[in-house]
Formats: sequence, structure tokens, C-alpha cells
Amino acid sequence: MTYSYPILTYTIFLPLIGAVLLLFIDKEKHNAIRWTSAFFSFITLIMTLVILKDFDWTTAQMQFMETHSWIPAIGSNYILGVDGISVPMLVLTSLISLIAIVISFNITKRVKEYFVFFLLLECGMIGVFAALDFFLFYVFWEIMLVPMYFLIGIWGGPQREYAAIKFFLYTLFGSIFMLVAILILYFTSEPHTLSMMELIQIGPSFSHNIQIMAFAFFFIAFAIKVPVWPFHTWLPDAHVQAPTAISIILAAVLLKMGTYGMLRISWPMLPEGIQYFSVPIAILGVIAIIYGALVSLAQKDLKKLVAYSSVSHMGYCMLALAAYTSVTAMAGCMFQMISHGLITGALFLLVGVLYDRAHTREIAAFGGIGKKLPVYTALMVMFGMASLGLPGMSGFISEFMVFVGSFDHFWAEYWYIVALAILGVVLTAAYILRMIQNVFLGEFDEERWGHLTDINIRETLCVAPLAVLTIIFGIYPDPVIKLMEASLNNLVTLMAR
Amino acid sequence: MINITPLIPELFLLVMAIVVLMLDLFSSRRTVVVPAYVSMAAVIITGFLVFKFGGDAVRWGSNAIFVADSFSQFFKVIILGAAFLAIGSSFGTADRMTHHRGEFFALLLFSTVGMMFLVSAKELILLYVGLELTTIPLFVLVAYQKTNRASSEAGLKYLIIGAASSAILLYGLSLLYGYTGTTYLNEIAQKTAVYFLSHGFIPNAEGTTDLVGMGPAFSVALMMIIAGLTFKLAIVPFHMWAPDVYEGAPTPITAFLSVGSKAAGLAAIIRIFDGMLYAFSHDTMPNDSWGTMMAVLAAVTMVAGNIIAIRQTNIKRMLAYSSIAQAGYILIGVIAASKLGVASCGFYMFAYMFANMGAFAIVGLYAEKTGKKNISDFAGLSKTSPIIAALMTMFMLSLAGIPPLAGFMAKYYIFAAAIEAGYTWLVILALLMSVVSLYYYANVVRIMYMVDSDNKHHIIPSFPAGLVLALTGIGVLLFGILPQSILDMAYKTASSFIF
Amino acid sequence: MDIGLYHYLSLAAFLFAIGLYGILTRRNAIAILMSLELMFNAVNINLVAFNRFSGSDGLSGQIFALFVIAIAAAEATVGLAIVILIYRNWRSIDADRVNLLKW
Repeated sequence: MTYSYPILTYTIFLPLIGAVLLLFIDKEKHNAIRWTSAFFSFITLIMTLVILKDFDWTTAQMQFMETHSWIPAIGSNYILGVDGISVPMLVLTSLISLIAIVISFNITKRVKEYFVFFLLLECGMIGVFAALDFFLFYVFWEIMLVPMYFLIGIWGGPQREYAAIKFFLYTLFGSIFMLVAILILYFTSEPHTLSMMELIQIGPSFSHNIQIMAFAFFFIAFAIKVPVWPFHTWLPDAHVQAPTAISIILAAVLLKMGTYGMLRISWPMLPEGIQYFSVPIAILGVIAIIYGALVSLAQKDLKKLVAYSSVSHMGYCMLALAAYTSVTAMAGCMFQMISHGLITGALFLLVGVLYDRAHTREIAAFGGIGKKLPVYTALMVMFGMASLGLPGMSGFISEFMVFVGSFDHFWAEYWYIVALAILGVVLTAAYILRMIQNVFLGEFDEERWGHLTDINIRETLCVAPLAVLTIIFGIYPDPVIKLMEASLNNLVTLMAR
Repeated sequence: MINITPLIPELFLLVMAIVVLMLDLFSSRRTVVVPAYVSMAAVIITGFLVFKFGGDAVRWGSNAIFVADSFSQFFKVIILGAAFLAIGSSFGTADRMTHHRGEFFALLLFSTVGMMFLVSAKELILLYVGLELTTIPLFVLVAYQKTNRASSEAGLKYLIIGAASSAILLYGLSLLYGYTGTTYLNEIAQKTAVYFLSHGFIPNAEGTTDLVGMGPAFSVALMMIIAGLTFKLAIVPFHMWAPDVYEGAPTPITAFLSVGSKAAGLAAIIRIFDGMLYAFSHDTMPNDSWGTMMAVLAAVTMVAGNIIAIRQTNIKRMLAYSSIAQAGYILIGVIAASKLGVASCGFYMFAYMFANMGAFAIVGLYAEKTGKKNISDFAGLSKTSPIIAALMTMFMLSLAGIPPLAGFMAKYYIFAAAIEAGYTWLVILALLMSVVSLYYYANVVRIMYMVDSDNKHHIIPSFPAGLVLALTGIGVLLFGILPQSILDMAYKTASSFIF
Repeated sequence: MDIGLYHYLSLAAFLFAIGLYGILTRRNAIAILMSLELMFNAVNINLVAFNRFSGSDGLSGQIFALFVIAIAAAEATVGLAIVILIYRNWRSIDADRVNLLKW
């Protein structure tokens, strides 16, 4: 499907145009600023939905391709395109961005700057999922860091400056390895190219050592973003200190960039790399699942609990990615990315809602607020259940597919790695249920929490799409799987080379 | 009769420098505007002349002594750009002087002429004269604030170090002359190459050649030339002068020093090592010794510059150490000793010019308005002067190498050259150091945006300073996103070299 | 014994070393400037000696030396001017006491 106009370019740069427009609005007109950014974000969502509608899911070909010469001196072209792996991420990104913008309406400090940075961030995020040229990809990948640094550093919690610079340095540290890997691949390929599609074609012809080295370099870059244990230490700080909307973006979109990068770049491009590193990656995945869950179990802070649960949940993605021969595992990984985006996004949103009212996130401080805030409690419990993988919710489907796929792959040897991962499900149930019990059930402290009000309409409207999608995907996952099936089949063939 | 048309840009600028000197005698003493604008116009016209009269060489017999090739043109653009931006940001500084305002700009132009000679020189005497014409006016300019103790101290230090490094360089050049019997770079190149081919090398145990294999006089000459030139570039371990001089000198001069004289010194290094002594880096020569030595220098420079910069509280000292570190990155391009390497050096310098001149312009502007020079004094700038703060952020991020700014493109290009040449370890180290550098660059941003203060200084730049900020800001952004034309130009410069 | 190239070169090397040593150890700014002159003159001896003994018929070594002399004079002028400036500002020309900036 091609359009007469470059829809991907428009989609990427629409938020940027919005950001530039915001600069001309008087900084005291808070509502104008809010609604302008929401408007641009909404149009971006519509654009991605149009892409989704016209996307041909029967083929693994890149669609809506745009190719322009950009910097011939370094062999870089402006190449955009989407396939079944990137389309769901595009839609997820624009949806979450809109929700995050609407939930940020309660920001009162330096409103104009906030939304300018936010729209810049959205531009970068969408760009990452659409870029098919290494240089372009890297530029988008890095562009995001700057607004993110400001958003955490200015609007975050008490430790915001520390968390912001830690996030910035940590991710940049990862990126440099990607840069080296990109340059190595560029100079190894003949003729030199930075096009991902061309490199995927010729990747397997590279020598074993080059493939292993480049794969390892890419892995460090992506693993920091995911984050895979032991590269996860930036995440709790960034998540806890970031304002609610940014936590949502971090969890729902930024973490997915790591796994997206693996699916898009290092896995198909360097098949000997994944074949070589499959088992270690599976082990890292399982460690992340168990470790994340155990640490969550010990958390006293609600937001930290959700943050560590992300480490655990992204571990499922890593386990699935390690099972590179199984389409089911790949689909499970993709599905987990989407469903974790929806569920954890919603959980961060709900934690933010409670924090706005109670000004604390300490689990022990609450108790029995279920009676006082019934709607809120219902939503929280629902997403909690989704997070622990209750059947009927999207989390169940994805985890099930991950397990089936990775058992399939690891059945002959190493099946016990996967078996260990199942332990993670039990632990997840433990920390979610413990949280629900401590916060919503039990004795209610009327004196302290009597003033709490239930979730308001704006916030409900923000959670609603996430709730609906979580349930729909849980009951009827077929459309999503169809959407990416062709691309994933192709991916598995590429990795078998 | 010698054809001197290639010299026209330099001669024009020289005449204009004298005109500016004279203007000061005849114009009223109250304003800096006339000499400053005349100087800026002169620089722009010289820029046009550089392109108009490019491509030819001044010859003595069959040997070129002065070439206006694409390499020198490119570096002259950088030097003239730096001079233009330095003059533009000098209005405030010069305005507060009581005496000798015209001389200030005249000296700056004289120094610029020296740099232009330096990058075009293909003969040792001319090279040396160009070098001294560059630095002697700068000694005066650094010490220009006569009643300021720090300024005169910086002047003294710069003088001693500058003269000593010249003497060391000169000693090396004299040995080179004695070794080859000629002062023409191309003859020296031929003779060294012939010497290697006829005498062969004395390979050491690893099968590579070390400097000793080329005769002790030659290796001493080489060492002294490297030492002399790296002094000018402030490469570790010859960098100690830079922070003091940068801190003490008037800010526009610091900026000019950190870009213009660095560009000129870099051009000389490239001419000598990638051009004249190409035998060392030529494919047929089993060398590595000087490459490895320079690589170690580059590595040490990046590490030391970046790590010491973290501790600085004075913004000019911080930028001084950052520029030491930047020189380390640039050296990587020289080491790569390839077409891509030379091109990347040129582009790096070009991108660096915008970011560094812009950053120093803001530092100067801020110090003029508030008299404050510490990084912590920038707190709250994002509220009082949001545009200045945004520009400063851009310059800092460009220096740190964050896309889509010019500094990133420059780093990418230089790293590409190094990877192509096989210096992967150096690239990884350089990238690690650029993560370190982000820490102190982002610290400036953090203070401007995230630290609250009762700072009420609203910075409104004068017209020339505003022009400087606009140009540098546009440059940093534009050449980050659409660098192709400049990359092409930079790549063409490499055609002046045999690789 | 004939005086040959090596004698001149050795003399130049000694002069250069003395000059360098002087720069590094002397604290008096004037003495440092004098040491610098020694280094430049060492170079001049080198250049002239090479010109004389290298057998080439050109004069470039001697011309080079003339340029070096002229430039060294200019440098000394500026140097002394800055030393006077230092004396006015600090009432001293001891390089150790001129230490406002961290060296």
C-alpha cells in the first residue's frame, strides 16, 4: 500500500510541528497549550490508525516505504517503512502518547516547556519505529533522550536530577555500542550500506566473528533499554522519579524500543549471533523474571513495585526472543510488548492518580481504601489481575504464547530454564495480590484518608481505552496476531539462515 | 616573475588590518562600532576572495611554497568564520576598554592572516612565519585587559609556553631541514619516501618499523615537531597552559584561540603528517609507530580533558578542558590518515567552530551583564532568558555529540574514519569519553533548567552578539541535519593529499 | 682537529638544552625570556651549520635563520611588554608569585 503523500513522514513530524507551534503560544495560556498538544497528538493517533487500516497484513514486505537520498557522504538515506512488527508499536506509541498528554493536564509547573518537550519525545519515538536506515534510526533513538532528560529532570520527584542524568548517561552508554556496531557493519558490507533491509539480506554472509561482535554490541544497547538484568539499574530511579505521564511513556513505549530493536535489527541481521547467544539470553530472561518479581515482592513503594514488575515482565519478552525458531514465541514476545504497554501503562497511570490525591505511594500507609474509591479500586484490581496473567486478559495470552513457544524451542535441552520461568508467574501473583490486599482491603483509616476522592472523569477516560483493549485482546487476540503473523514468519525464516 | 594571485585574500586582509589600525587614529575614540564593522566586512570579503582566487599555488621554481588548494580553502573558511564570530562577540568587551580599541581588531585580523598563511604554507620558513604571525598578536590580545591581573598573567603564560613550543618545533624543523637539505614540503616528502624505499626499514621483532629505524635525527625531529604542534593544539601532556590562558584572556579571544588557532594548528599537523610525511601512513609502508604514538596521545587527551572538566566550577575553565578533549577527538581523524580522516578533521573543526564560538559568546555575554563566570551562576537562566538558555543547551549538546546537531555528525564522521582505518579500540574509548563528557555538558543544562534561583538577569544581546548567536545556532542545527554540502567540501579537501 | 658539523650540532643541542632548562627552572620572567632566546639561537646555529655542511648550494638555511632572528626579536618585544605589564599589576616579575590562575 502506498499513498501519493508520505504518510509516515507526516506522522513522525506532526508532533514536531505541534511543538514548534506551541513555542508561539503565550506561556500563561495553559489551556490553549494543553489542548493544542492534545490535538496534535490526537491527529497523530488518527494517522497511525489510517496506517493500520490500510496496512496489508498478508505480506511481510515493508509498506508505506519512503526513500530519499539524505547524506550520501556517509551512505545514509532517509528510509521509512513499516511492517507487521512496527505497525502495532506505532499505534501503541501514538495511543499512549495521547493518553499521557491528557493525564498531564494537571501539570501546572512550566506548562509550555513540558508539552514542547513531550511532543519532541513523541516525534522521536515514532521515528524510531518507522526508520529503516541505521543512521536515521540512531538519530531518532538519541533525539528522544534529550526531552526525556528534561521531562524527568524538571517535573520529576525529589531525586529527579539524579534520575534524569542517570537515565541519560546510561542510555547513551548503551547507544555508543550500537554506534560502533553500525559502523562495523557499514564498513564490512560491500558496497557499504546503512540500509537495514539491505543489511538484513547480506548479514549472514559476514564472518562469524563480525556477527558475534556486532550482535553483542547491539545487545548491550538494546538490553539497557529493555532493560535486561543486570542492565536494569537505571529503571527504578527513572520510573519512580519521573512524573506520571513519563512513567507511562517509559514503561509502555521506551522499554519496547529495546525489544523492537532486537526484532528489527540484531536478530534477523545477525542470525549467527542469536544462534550463538540464544541460551545465555534465555537465562538472562529468566533471571529478570524471577529477580524482578522477587524485588517487587519486597517493595514498599507502589510505583517501585510497578517499576520492578516491568523488569519481570520484560523478562518474558527476552525468554521468547531467545526461542528464535518458534513463531509462537516471537508472536508471544510481540504480544507481551503490546499487553505490557497497555497494562503497565495503566498501572502507572493509576498509581499516579492515587499519588496526586494521597501524596504518598507507600503501600503500608494505605488500607481498605476500596470502600472509599470503588471505581478506582475496580480498575486497579482489574489491571492487577491482567498483570498477573489472569485468563481473559491480554497478559494471559502473551505469557501463554511465550511459554508455549519457548518450550517448543528449548524442549530438547534446557527445558528447565523455561520451567523456572513459570515460577515467575506464581511470584507475580504473590506481589500483585499482596499489593491489592494491603492497599484496598483491610482496615480503613477514615481520619487520614477520608478526604480521598474517586478517580475523576478525565482520568477514567484515559484508563478506559487501555482497559477495553486489555480485555478485547484477552478474549479475541486474533486480529493482532494476524497483523504480525506474516512478518514474524519471515523473521523466523531469516533467523534460520 | 612570481604569480601572486593566490595570495590576494591574505594581502587584502593584511591591508584591511592596517586600515583598521589607521581608522583608530582618525575616528573619534568613543565608539568601537566603526573598526569592528569594518573588520567584519573585511573578513567576509576575504572569504569571497578565498574562493575566487583558489586552486592555484605560488611557486618558487618548480616547488610550491604557498598553495590555495581546497584543503586550505576549507580551513580558511573555518578560520575566517571564527574571526567573524569573535569580532561579533567582542563589541561588549572592546566597549569597556579605554584605550586601543582599534588595535584590538587589527591584531585579531593580523592573527587571522597568520593562520591563513599557516594553512596554505608548503614550505618550512613560510609555515614558521605564519605560525608566529598567528601567535604573536594573540599574546598581546590575551593580555589585552591591561589592568586585569588574570589577563596579564594569562598573557605571560601564553607567551612563555607559546614561544617555548615554537622553539621546540623550530628545532625539529631545523633537524628536518638538515636531514633532507630542503625546506619545501613536497621535496621533503619525496626525499623521505625515497629514503625509505631505498634504505628499507630496519624492522623490529614484530615486523613493524619503529622510529629508530629511520635514523635518530629523523625520529628526534619528528618528536619535536609533534611536541611543538601539539602544544598549539593543547594535546595532553602539552595542555597545561590552555585552562589558565582560556580563563584569563578576554572571552572573545578565548573563543578565537580555541577555534581559530586550533584549526590552523590542526591544518599544519595534517599538512606535515598526512601530507608531507605520508610515507609514514602510506599503505606500502609497514609503519604504525607514529600512528600508535599519536593514538596514545589522542586517547590520553580525551581521557584527561574530559575527566578534569567534570571538576571545574568556572565555565571558561570547563570549556577549556572540554576543548582539550575535543582536540583529542580531532586527532583521531589525523591518525586515520586517509581521505576520510582528513575530511572528518575538516568537518569536525567546522562543526566545532559553531558550537564553541556560540558557547563562548554566551559566556562572554553573561559575564558582561552580570560579572559572573561560574557554572552555578547560570542557575535560572531558562526562566529569565529562555532563548539564550535554549541556545546554550544546543551548543552543549552539540559539543557532547547528541543528534541531530552538527557535533554528532562530526563525531560520527570521525569515528567512521577511524573504524575504516582499523582503530576500533580508539573509537570505543572516544565514545566512552563522550558519555563522560555528557555529564559535564548536561550539568550546565541542568543548572540552567533545573536549579531554581532568584536570578533576575535578563540577557538581551546587542545586535552583533545576537547575530553571532543566530549564526552559530543555525549552524549547529542546520549542519547537523543537512550536512551533505559541507561533507562534500570536506571530502574534496582530501584530494590535496596522497593516500 | 677540524671543526665539523657535529661540533656545531652539539653546541646547538647544548644551548637548546640550557635554554629549556632555564625555562623550566628560572622564576624570573626576564630570565625565562633570555632562556627562550637561547633556544632560538640554538636553532639558528643548527640551520646555518646544516646549510654550510649539507653541500646543497641553496641558502634556505641561512634565510631561515634570518627569519628566526627577526621573529625572535618581535617575540622578545612583546614578551618584555607583557613583563612590564605584569610588573605594573603585580609589582613583581617572579613567575611563582604570578599565580592568580591555577597553573
